[in-house]
Amino acid sequence: MENREVKIHPVKYRTYVFVWMGLVILTGLTYTVAVGIHPAGWAIFVALAIAGTKSGLVLNYFMHLKSERLVIFKVIIPLVMAVFLVFILLTFSDVAFRGVVK
Amino acid sequence: MALMILRSLKIMDEAKEAVFEEARDYTGAKLGMWLFILSELLLFGGMFILYSGYRYKNPADFHHASRELEVVLGTLNTIILLTSSLSVATSIAAIQKGQRKLSMVLLMATMALGLLFLANKGFEWGTKIEHGIYPNSPTLLARSKGEILFFGLYYVMTGLHGLHVLVGVCVFSVMLILIAKGTLNQMRFVPLENAGLYWHLVDIIWIFLYPLFYLIT
Repeated sequence: MENREVKIHPVKYRTYVFVWMGLVILTGLTYTVAVGIHPAGWAIFVALAIAGTKSGLVLNYFMHLKSERLVIFKVIIPLVMAVFLVFILLTFSDVAFRGVVK
Repeated sequence: MALMILRSLKIMDEAKEAVFEEARDYTGAKLGMWLFILSELLLFGGMFILYSGYRYKNPADFHHASRELEVVLGTLNTIILLTSSLSVATSIAAIQKGQRKLSMVLLMATMALGLLFLANKGFEWGTKIEHGIYPNSPTLLARSKGEILFFGLYYVMTGLHGLHVLVGVCVFSVMLILIAKGTLNQMRFVPLENAGLYWHLVDIIWIFLYPLFYLIT
């Protein structure tokens, strides 16, 4: 059976409810921040930081990354984010300098 | 003789079953699902890069176009998806605790929330299309380049996300049948857990789509 070797400890329902409450509060925070922040350029960074925090909550608690014991589960997300960052840097080094460098 | 053959067949069947059970791999199944999730993240990631590139070039147009989206509907859909993530997570915990009925009710709630999300999205798209804003429409093509790009990205990214929600609801309906039949139970719940992982991924993608499309200041 699947859990012959892996011991399963179901997460308490109230843990999930607390995480959900945190997520809803953060959504409210994004909504208010987006309307109120000046200068506007900062708003996107704050909004993305909040989205990142929300994703962290979902990944760690709902997707159980926090309780995974195998190293591969711990490095898998940072690894993909690093690859993604390389894509972003390469793309923006092109887009930002178009027309500037001839 | 016949009895001996029957008995040996029975022993072979049992042995086969044992091998089959041994072959199940909890970690492997989950790792496979995670690899799929990561490929999905990169698929949407490509579109997020496209979005950032065009937004960087057309900040004012993106701002104006974003103002036309229904922020209240977007926020409501965010809450709906977050709540559905809660219900599927608790559904998995319920089946692990052996509370089959509770697990089924929570799974049905998840599906209902997914459909509600799609209904809201459909309503939102419908209103936009009614106003003549859809890819390649004369009204949209008459606008500035940045606004055309914004709405193009809006339809493609929320459309692909919506498709993922629809697939998720279909997968959950299969899971619901499997729980009802007893195929999924307290001892065998990995397919449901993997379906849950997929649903949370869909939630995470929306967590980023929401501020990027609805809340541009």
